[in-house]
Amino acid sequence: MLELFQYQFMVNAFLAGIMIALLASISGAFVVLRRYALLTETLAHSALVGVAVGILIETNPVWMAVAAALISAWTIEYLRSFFHLYSDAVLAIFLSGSLALAVIIVSLAGAFNSSLFSYLFGSILSVSREEVWTIFAVGIPALALLGYFYKELYFIAFDEEVAKTGGIPVTLLNFMLVSIVAVIIALSIRIVGTLLIGALMVIPTVAALRFRQGFSVTVGLSVLFALFSVAAGMLLSYAFALPSGATIVMCVLLIFVISLVINRR
Amino acid sequence: MTFEPAVFEVEHLGCSVGGQTILSDVSLKVLQGEYCAVIGPNGGGKTTLVRLLLGLQKPTEGTIRLFGEPQKQFRRWKQVGYVPQQVTQTDRLFPGTVEEVVSMGRISGIGWDKRWHDEDRRHIEHAMERMEVSDLRAKLIGELSGGQRQRVMIARALASEPKVLILDEPNTGVDQPSQQRFYALLRQLNRDERLTILFVTHDIGVIADDIVRVFTVNQRLSTCNDPKRLLSCEGMSELYGIDAHLLSAHHRH
Repeated sequence: MLELFQYQFMVNAFLAGIMIALLASISGAFVVLRRYALLTETLAHSALVGVAVGILIETNPVWMAVAAALISAWTIEYLRSFFHLYSDAVLAIFLSGSLALAVIIVSLAGAFNSSLFSYLFGSILSVSREEVWTIFAVGIPALALLGYFYKELYFIAFDEEVAKTGGIPVTLLNFMLVSIVAVIIALSIRIVGTLLIGALMVIPTVAALRFRQGFSVTVGLSVLFALFSVAAGMLLSYAFALPSGATIVMCVLLIFVISLVINRR
Repeated sequence: MTFEPAVFEVEHLGCSVGGQTILSDVSLKVLQGEYCAVIGPNGGGKTTLVRLLLGLQKPTEGTIRLFGEPQKQFRRWKQVGYVPQQVTQTDRLFPGTVEEVVSMGRISGIGWDKRWHDEDRRHIEHAMERMEVSDLRAKLIGELSGGQRQRVMIARALASEPKVLILDEPNTGVDQPSQQRFYALLRQLNRDERLTILFVTHDIGVIADDIVRVFTVNQRLSTCNDPKRLLSCEGMSELYGIDAHLLSAHHRH
């Protein structure tokens, strides 16, 4: 199996995949605990608008996806904190709105083809060395920020109001978290695809929660599940020539089912 | 004796939301070391008053001073411990051990290195001991009974070394023996450590012996400085007729 790594694209895919698994599972823990799982799906669809624009004007779709996801994340967070709208309704509006916009732009670009398909469901063959650098250049600072503020983010996830009364900059940290989530989602579309990244952010944490442990153990388990799913999913993708996003999500789903079965209560 | 500024000093506070008046012309003073209660009917503005004191909501008029400082300039929020209303159903699954949750109380004072130092650990330990939850430290917060959970929430507030504790109806959904133990612990905190306590409740009978002052809130606020004879206080009986049986029940035993 090791001869796989003679191929540069496989090395690229694994490096990128490991980083994405770490980022998705750690940031996903805070998102899930805040009952904000739908945010990941919504931002993924917003990222698709960026991809569509990138294809239309022929620039790097990944950077366009980062920009689109960030703008969407900030708008959602702004609407949520200052307009007292139901957060799930705001997310639903952005989810379908983004998809509609993306479909129109893609149609205009005449790009309903296999290249779009790889952005929707991930394709390990498409990860370039340059993209691996981009993922690491953005991923390492994002991990550092999550690590540095994890105590605060944990407190906010448990009890936002009490954290606020303690003098913790809740609004600022919320913006930071959704920004990081937006960037991670946009960066991971090459590996997992826009339509499937939500699963990689949400399911590892939900599976880890079944083991009923404290926070540090839960996050540790979630990271393990994500790393395993990404590695196994990419191998399956290579072996059976399937879209990597789909195989990764099937692996993480399997872990979820196992965690349900062994933690029946 | 040195002069100690009031913990809370509120003057002519008013709050309306969407054109509806929730509180109007509220003035009150809580001195250091006092054990005070806030009572009033549901929807009368008790929780709004708490949120205003904590800075979670902005008043439409009036001023709030904490420890002598105007609320806008006040920065020592970790001296104000807050125990919110218990929602019994939430977070059965939340991945937090008792120790992790109590540690949250130290986060607002944490340094740039974001590490727990000996002093932090000592205060976390001390808070757990005082609330008698040390032996539960490795348990998940979702596995606790209502009474245990309530003590953990207070331990979390105590971990930040507060000078005042605000409890917003913390006894909802907690069984009777646990409540007795809980009131005894609060009494101890107040008497032994001079912790100021502001207790929001609808059931004043059980703490009538401990408190020095009762604030009755029903859009307006009246202060009663003789809690044992609450009904004889000015404006109390018409505001709070429903509490008559609670008080008499208390005086029977």
